[in-house]
Amino acid sequence: MSAVAAPSVYAGGASVIAVGVLLAEFGMFRQALLRDQVRLYAAQSALISVLAILVAAVRHLPELYVLAALSAGLKVVCVPVVLRRLLRGIGAGRTGEVDPEPGWTEIAGSGSLSLANTVLLAIAVAAFGFFSVAALGIRSPVLPPTALAISVSVALVAFVLMIMRRDVASQAIGFLSLENGISLTALVVAAGLPLFLEVAFLFDLLVAVVVFELLIRVHHGRAESLSTADLTRLRG
Amino acid sequence: MSAALPIPVVQFCQVATIALAAPGVSGVIARVEARLQGRTGPRVLQPYYDLAKLLRKEALAPEGASWVFLAAPVAAATCYLTVPLLIPVLTSFGLPLGYMGDILGGGLILALASFLVAVAALETGSPYAQLGASRAKTFGAITEPVVLFVVFTVALVTGTDLPYALAATVRSSASQIVRPAHLLAAAALFMVILSETGRIPVETHTGTNEFGMIEEARPFEHSGPYFALLKWGSAMKQLILYTILINVFVAPWGLAASTQAGAVGLAIVALLAKAAALGVVVAVIDNSFAKLRLFKITEFAAAAFLLAVLGVFTLYLGGG
Repeated sequence: MSAVAAPSVYAGGASVIAVGVLLAEFGMFRQALLRDQVRLYAAQSALISVLAILVAAVRHLPELYVLAALSAGLKVVCVPVVLRRLLRGIGAGRTGEVDPEPGWTEIAGSGSLSLANTVLLAIAVAAFGFFSVAALGIRSPVLPPTALAISVSVALVAFVLMIMRRDVASQAIGFLSLENGISLTALVVAAGLPLFLEVAFLFDLLVAVVVFELLIRVHHGRAESLSTADLTRLRG
Repeated sequence: MSAALPIPVVQFCQVATIALAAPGVSGVIARVEARLQGRTGPRVLQPYYDLAKLLRKEALAPEGASWVFLAAPVAAATCYLTVPLLIPVLTSFGLPLGYMGDILGGGLILALASFLVAVAALETGSPYAQLGASRAKTFGAITEPVVLFVVFTVALVTGTDLPYALAATVRSSASQIVRPAHLLAAAALFMVILSETGRIPVETHTGTNEFGMIEEARPFEHSGPYFALLKWGSAMKQLILYTILINVFVAPWGLAASTQAGAVGLAIVALLAKAAALGVVVAVIDNSFAKLRLFKITEFAAAAFLLAVLGVFTLYLGGG
């Protein structure tokens, strides 16, 4: 069997960053504490901004700098801050007493399978995304095909995260990181898209954050918990 | 200018370096770990004194133990002395005996040694030694797929499964270093090494009798020279695994390109310096993380498996 040739340093580096995004997604998947999940979400968003800067510098696409800055400001700073404030507020409201780290200690339930098994399941789902995109043969002028395949894996693993977790906050973070996967896809297939459109997509995220904030507040107000277990009895 | 050494001497130097330096590397790790915790810690040479003391002591065997109990430490040490012939310890070119076996061959010999120690532990009838042996085999079976996928990555990257070939590939260009498959395989191998050498987060290395023991519990019933051989063997296994990670994956620089005495001497110093540096990293990890509960070790293995599998995936799209 012959050796697989190495990609160029740029393509290799870009793929490494994309793999980092996927690993952050798996990290959120494994992480039990909501605080650490929010941190990983910020790290994942930062990686995507780094990748955008790398593409902008190497492929001479100056508007990507603007996109990277906006995306970093929104997803690395604003959204995590909003999520933290939301969770802290809920924690204080829940116990009604002085709690050193209210809300943060909520352990996110991970469903009926053991964590190692869910990771194996997520690997299988990621593999499906990876190889199905490879079969499509989409080529991008700015980034290696590996990055596109990884971005689809990120989105699929985010779906698995939302399915396996039983608390509303984890599901919200899963949805937001799903959007990170889409951003990565957009970077690969449409790096040359007009800036106006890209920014418009980015601000869609704010709508999602507002909706989820409302959802979490309403659910917590009714169920006194972040768990979605109470919702099962609504089944017909 | 220095004289060229005959090939057999260089080959002997590979084995001698691993055998003689292994307790020293353990000593460095123990010392650094103690310093990080604010303790003075044992001397770096303490493992050598321990071995010398044990070698002078009387050996006892539990009642009913057969010859396997006494033969296993010797056989395991022999296995650990064989592996350095197969991997690039000092030279960047393959020595004649280096082609006796590939990565799988080396892995087989390491697994044989660990199997022999486990059989000796079962011979004793002691609950602790048996518990350690049983756990070591269980978790060994879980980390085995990770090692296999790392080997697949090496095979896809180089087209062979010789450790010398991968080291040469890594040295050849920067693009070989930043490719994701290489980084992922190296990271997965590092996690396996942490688990195989009994380090945090899998096992506390400096524990006394405790329920989380795995590797450390196996030689409980051995004493005297046999216990010394087992301790020396596990130190050699640790240095062998470090050498594989350093000289094949992470930093295959500083190896001798010829058999000149000066170059080989420099390679010995470089290997020891790199192993000590890796030891410091391991000591920092030891001090920064908590030991995982026994039933959480599968999650650690699953994370390593994830890295190794992703490495193979990225290669299949030609982008890795």
